Amino acid sequence: MSTPLVSMRNITKTFPGVLADDNVDLDLFPEEIHVIMGENGAGKTTLMNVLYGFYRADSGKISVEGKEVEIKSPVDAQSLGIGMVFQHFSVIEVFTVLENVAIGRRDSGLRLNLAKLEFEIEEAQREYGINVSLNRKVEELSTAEKQKAEILKVLFKGAKVLILDEPTSMLTPQETEALFKNLRSLKKQGRAVVLITHKLYEILELADRVTVLRKGRVVLNTVRENISPEILAEAAMGHSMTVQQYERKTIAEEGALTIKNLSVRGDRGEDAVSSVSFDVRRGEILGVAGIAGNGQRELVEALVGLRRIQTGNITLNGVDMTHKSVRDRIRLALRYVPEDRKRRGVALDLPLTYNAVLRDHWQAPFEHAHRLRFSSIREFAKRIIAEFKVVCSSETSSANELSGGNLQKFIVGRELLRDAEYIITENPTAGLDFGSAEYVRRILFEHRNAEKGILLVSGDLDELISMSDRIIVLYRGHVNGTVERKNFDKVSIGALMLGQGFDEAKTAV
Amino acid sequence: MILEFIASLTVIALTGMVPRAIPVIAASNGELVDQSAGVLNLGVEGMMLIGTVVGFFTDFYTGNLILAFLLAGLAGMCLSLLHAVAAVSLKADQVVSGTAIWFIGWGLSGVIYRALFGKILVPPTINSIPHLSLPILSSIPIIGPIIFGQDPVAYFIILTVVAVHYFLFHTQPGLNLRTVGEDPRTAEEMGVNPKRYRIYAIMFGGLMAGIGGAYLTIAITGTFYYDLTGGMGFIAVALISFGKWKPFRTFFGCLVFGAVFVVFLTIQNYYPSIPYQFFQMWPYLAILVILSGVSAKSGGPAALGKPYEKRD
Repeated sequence: MSTPLVSMRNITKTFPGVLADDNVDLDLFPEEIHVIMGENGAGKTTLMNVLYGFYRADSGKISVEGKEVEIKSPVDAQSLGIGMVFQHFSVIEVFTVLENVAIGRRDSGLRLNLAKLEFEIEEAQREYGINVSLNRKVEELSTAEKQKAEILKVLFKGAKVLILDEPTSMLTPQETEALFKNLRSLKKQGRAVVLITHKLYEILELADRVTVLRKGRVVLNTVRENISPEILAEAAMGHSMTVQQYERKTIAEEGALTIKNLSVRGDRGEDAVSSVSFDVRRGEILGVAGIAGNGQRELVEALVGLRRIQTGNITLNGVDMTHKSVRDRIRLALRYVPEDRKRRGVALDLPLTYNAVLRDHWQAPFEHAHRLRFSSIREFAKRIIAEFKVVCSSETSSANELSGGNLQKFIVGRELLRDAEYIITENPTAGLDFGSAEYVRRILFEHRNAEKGILLVSGDLDELISMSDRIIVLYRGHVNGTVERKNFDKVSIGALMLGQGFDEAKTAV
Repeated sequence: MILEFIASLTVIALTGMVPRAIPVIAASNGELVDQSAGVLNLGVEGMMLIGTVVGFFTDFYTGNLILAFLLAGLAGMCLSLLHAVAAVSLKADQVVSGTAIWFIGWGLSGVIYRALFGKILVPPTINSIPHLSLPILSSIPIIGPIIFGQDPVAYFIILTVVAVHYFLFHTQPGLNLRTVGEDPRTAEEMGVNPKRYRIYAIMFGGLMAGIGGAYLTIAITGTFYYDLTGGMGFIAVALISFGKWKPFRTFFGCLVFGAVFVVFLTIQNYYPSIPYQFFQMWPYLAILVILSGVSAKSGGPAALGKPYEKRD
């Protein structure tokens, strides 16, 4: 075996009250794709941030190509050939790809000579096998193209070690495939590629070596031949994973949330949702697939009453609620589990007690004669915490003390515990670890079987396929196809997401 | 009759707008660099005011115009350093810190004047700047006298607009600075020191505001009175969003302000019975109307007004 490009020894990093990494060893070899996996809070990202110079380790050593080094900043890391692609790309949206690569260059003099740089990058692109149009602004690019721009930027700085943090979480299957192809060719060029991911199939498809972290410690470090989904899941969670097979009860005959010819404008006045029709029946999960930014957010906001509806109508069990207020929709038992839980789901600085009644503090038993009844509010908060296994010190802790997973359980509990009929949910498991994600999915599924109607908007196609009874695919604000459960197939749904068969003239009647 | 009136007003507006606009041009040009680096400094008014008094007394005592502008600029810069410490080093709220700068400059300018000149009824006057009509250029019909019949300082300030444009959009440090304004974390990751860029940008903003203030006393009024800027510093800030953070567009906005200002200054003389404040309100109202036409989301630097905190 060759010598490692990077080797980390006994890395320990603590944050106030948390031991993030505990004596972690990691070796990254050239021509290898190394996957680091683990639950949220297992210390993967912290470890990579130590390597990339964002954090300083409390103790431990890092050597690059056999020489011990000190990495104080990302700039140090880059000069040692270590590059990182974050989940939230560090590119400037209003700059062109070219300008983004040019930021902070020192060897080019005072004047900005973009023409010369463009020539150099064109050359380099051929070498890396990556193609991005350099003169387009980043904000005009798709997520996959942005990612390519980011990878290009990192490689152009001379990265021999390329770290990617959950690179596929926003990509379609086709884009994921293209990314994997790129990563494999980068590997063949002698680079070490590091992938931080939760997704088992990616690990099985791509990894040459896997390191599993749990609670800051390495629990498994092995090569491709020795891994299986069961081994990985058990290592990451500490117990074996019950592979979830949902039992599907039949869909109820009556009652539905019906959307007819709905059109909604986006923030900039553009047509974000154009003449969309579908219905969510009681006792089914209707999945909404689509690349982020194809109208999902606007659709959801229109349904819950946060965005004005231009044309079309919405009825809930036959009651027209097109222009009803948010509060009226809550009265009709419409519930909402938002994507941005910290900003839209809770008031972060308030205690859980208040957060428990954000939606219906004006209803009995929380209100009496225009005053809040704290005893019933506290009781309700306690009930959510108990029934949904929310880990927190008490019901008076503020919402920002909770981890992402526990916060989500709390919100789901709040929305479901009081007479939910229809549940609108956006990426309910985004950013959660296996355990919490699986729990949230199971809860939603139980409600499906209890004859509630669920609209599940998700960027995770695997999740949609395992949960949904039907999937509609949004493309540029139109429904570009409805797929029944028996016809679920990643490749064909992915094609619909990319706009296959979409005919602007046909739909723009 | 009315047509003649309008025609004469137009001539007045065109010939008078450039000098009136110069203080605002200087201040907004500096603030534009500030904001491009993500720093909102609402203290422009205060830094201009300190420039007025420092420029005034330097000119009064020494008669040296270059020294007067230089010291006024330095005074503005010194005041801006308070903003640098508060907003960049201590990560204070930039609106609060900027407002403090405004009040400090406002109070300090009055105090300095009173300390030096005491309580006098007729304010002393100072040397004004000799005009410098550029040969050939100033003989171009219409445009010539409007633009090329100014004094050297005005040319210098207009030149800084061109320089700032070139700096921001055609140099490596300019790109780095705009990166800091968009996303300081990305900037740092690319080897750019966000704090350093922000502090330099703030200092430049202070320098330009101070010079703009000095221009007001030395070139326009030739004397000093309290609160001479009368809100021009805020106009300078407002015109940056009108100009969409582009130097030339902002410059154009300043000229419009100058023109409206001059027109109402003239109309005011025709109607002495109407309180002059009524006329003085219009240039500001005009800016308000223009600004409301510009969408609120006209796309300033993404990190504008946000303090930068490192991880860890």
